[in-house]
Amino acid sequence: MATKKLTRKNFLKMCLAGLAGLALGGKFLKDAAAAATSSGFNGRPNKGIKGDYDLVVAKGLDPYISTVKAVTGLGGMSRFVKKNDVVLIKPNIGWDRSPEQAANTNPQVVAALIDMSFQAGAKRVNVFDVTCNDAKRTYDNSGIRAIAKEKGANVYFADDWNTVPMKLSYDSPMNEWPILKDAIECDTFINVPILKHHSLAGLTISMKNLMGICGGDRGRIHNGIGRKLADLTDFINPELTVVDAYRVLLRHGPVGGSLDDVKRLDTIIAGTDPVLADAYAAKLMDTDPMSLSCIKEAVARGFGSADIDKANILNIA
Amino acid sequence: MKKLIIARRVSQASFLLLFIYVLWSTTYPLKGLIHPEMLFKTDPLIMIMTSIAERALIAGTILSVSMLILTIILGRFFCGWICPLGTMIDAGGAFGKIKRENDRLNDKIHPVKLYVLAAILIFAVFGRQEAWLLDPIVLMARFISLVLIPFVTSNITFIFELLIRKFGSQGAIGDLYHSLQSSVLGIKVTYFAHSWLILSIFAAILAVTALMKRLWCRGLCPLGALYSFAARFSMLRRVVDISAKGGTGKAPCRMGAIKDDSSYKKSECILCMDCVYSYPPHLTRFSWPLFRHPEENQRPDEGSILDSSAASRPQNDAGGGISRKKFLFVLLTPLLLSGFKFNERKEIGKPEGQGHGPKPEGIIRPPAALNEDDFLNRCVRCGNCMKVCPTNGLQPLSPETGYASMWTPELVPETGYCEYKCTLCGNTCPTGAIKRVTQAEKLSIKLGTASIDRSICIAWAGNKECIVCEEHCPIYEKAIKLKEEVVGGVRIFRPSIDEALCVGCGICQNKCPTRPVRAVRVSPRNSYRP
Repeated sequence: MATKKLTRKNFLKMCLAGLAGLALGGKFLKDAAAAATSSGFNGRPNKGIKGDYDLVVAKGLDPYISTVKAVTGLGGMSRFVKKNDVVLIKPNIGWDRSPEQAANTNPQVVAALIDMSFQAGAKRVNVFDVTCNDAKRTYDNSGIRAIAKEKGANVYFADDWNTVPMKLSYDSPMNEWPILKDAIECDTFINVPILKHHSLAGLTISMKNLMGICGGDRGRIHNGIGRKLADLTDFINPELTVVDAYRVLLRHGPVGGSLDDVKRLDTIIAGTDPVLADAYAAKLMDTDPMSLSCIKEAVARGFGSADIDKANILNIA
Repeated sequence: MKKLIIARRVSQASFLLLFIYVLWSTTYPLKGLIHPEMLFKTDPLIMIMTSIAERALIAGTILSVSMLILTIILGRFFCGWICPLGTMIDAGGAFGKIKRENDRLNDKIHPVKLYVLAAILIFAVFGRQEAWLLDPIVLMARFISLVLIPFVTSNITFIFELLIRKFGSQGAIGDLYHSLQSSVLGIKVTYFAHSWLILSIFAAILAVTALMKRLWCRGLCPLGALYSFAARFSMLRRVVDISAKGGTGKAPCRMGAIKDDSSYKKSECILCMDCVYSYPPHLTRFSWPLFRHPEENQRPDEGSILDSSAASRPQNDAGGGISRKKFLFVLLTPLLLSGFKFNERKEIGKPEGQGHGPKPEGIIRPPAALNEDDFLNRCVRCGNCMKVCPTNGLQPLSPETGYASMWTPELVPETGYCEYKCTLCGNTCPTGAIKRVTQAEKLSIKLGTASIDRSICIAWAGNKECIVCEEHCPIYEKAIKLKEEVVGGVRIFRPSIDEALCVGCGICQNKCPTRPVRAVRVSPRNSYRP
């Protein structure tokens, strides 16, 4: 084999080639980073879509049918999903638990929302969550992966590296927090939490469920959680909130594990105001909504209402 | 057409790919076509030595003995046609030419592996399983599981990350990536401590091929040594007719099995079939002498037909036994080595947390790992448990903790916790070093006990909201209890451990937000070691 001698010329050539390669690679990465960091509010603006009612509460033994009834009562999915929209359905798939243990959103509720989104003309329905337990196990054991796939949704493991630093137009402890890009870049955001106990937040409902689109070291959000969740909700502005209160976890949340802690409420709550939906859900659990720090903060800031008595609520049995 | 060589190469490539496939599918939900423990249950060195050291017949030993029986019929077909390390060595050495070697050199190289085997056997008799160090299947599996697969998957992931950043995740590229991720790529299991060392050792084994073809297989491999014993009785034999066309040389041989007089050492022949084609002056073939055609025995030039049975026995190689001096040397070496206390087990894995040395708090072993002595005897360091661990929490112990525990699995909660309902590590362990348990049993198996360092805990020292550890605790009654306290008008919850409930899974340590040291840490205290 003829070996090339390392002359001065060759050495310089090699150095130049290496530098060019580095510069190209660096530019590529820089472009990607620059695209991710623009100044000003970079969240999802409030589209101001209203339903026929402030809230629709559907009761029934079948969570799929209740979900359909609740969303139809609001005015139908076509109010939120336009033709060729990219829809994100964000359930809670945080834990390696079965649907009966009520730690994750009921798969039937997710299935109903997927079906309705496609009927309304959605181009693509994404389903994902940043999980707490191993993602493969939670996706499988929650039953959500199987049913969402069957319904034609695009269910995938959240890319926790594909994030955008959060920027609000005001000062916030959440500014610069990495938020999943796919959660921001969607036409319709449907937040589908499960109602359950949480030792710090009191209850975890829709505002807390938004922690599942956060990257980074999420444990740090817990310090001053009320303010942070309010800001996060203000950043994402979900078009539709559907609270799964079919089975609720009364104690030992948010993980649970024992069926003794699970209670059937057979209720699905749908609304356009996440704060109101959370407030109603809290009432269901005999909790004063204003005792939940995130609701209190959101009401004080004036971007949501917790006044259930004044709200226009449709009850479907 | 070198039909036999093509057949051998096809066989080698297929088994190498199969080997990689089996290890690749060693991941949740463990639904590959072949169970990963089969790679080791068919390895007689591992199974027999572990059985001897443990004074117990380990399930699957019979299966591995059947490989020895096959070797008695066919010879060392495993080394030439199946062994994945042998295939890599052949591929690595394919560019070099076979050097002409004489008997004197080969007679020196070949027996070395027998000494290695003898040392392993003596250790086993004295109750120490040391087969893991040089077993080729283990070396290969560890390299593939802990180096090759993480390297390939993390690089594919990196390329997709760049592409998705550029073109967005909602197009064809994103879809391809997400479907690959949930099918073959997997997520998260990409980091293994000091995988560079595992790579270096593997590379070194391939590199010595530059000195001499299959030098590892000729001189060091203890599994090859075991097979060479069985191959001495092999029924399939090489028959060569040296007088047919003249020619004074001898056929080149990658194992150095062909002697200067063109007869061969049956125990060193790996049936690579090179000599059938590579030296035309000699007519070489492999046949079954038991069924030899009667005509053949009556050929006039019978004297020039060399058959191993006649020529290879009374030599000073494997067949000829060893001198008293050498025998004493073999017997004494392991004992002398023990004098250095190189495989001392005293300081490692102390569950009581009273050890000293590099890991004074002890080592968190996988769930239901046997008691430390039996565990170290059974563990062959194959890496199956680490490959299959869904959180990437099981890591190979570095040589820092000593030879005796090198590359055995350790749970490192910072990289990954023990998933509460997962039983995969015990399910993939080929020698039962990690006991196989059902999911119901697993839920109460203790790996250790967590404790909270109040001097750095956010709630205790910082008087701030946190409860991340309590929130993640998988025990439904919560092994981490919260105490509500009002400090300066602020309501905070302070965590403490209920040691009776804690299973030591380490999810609290994994998720604890304090840095650089976590405020809640698990030590192997009170762990369950059957």
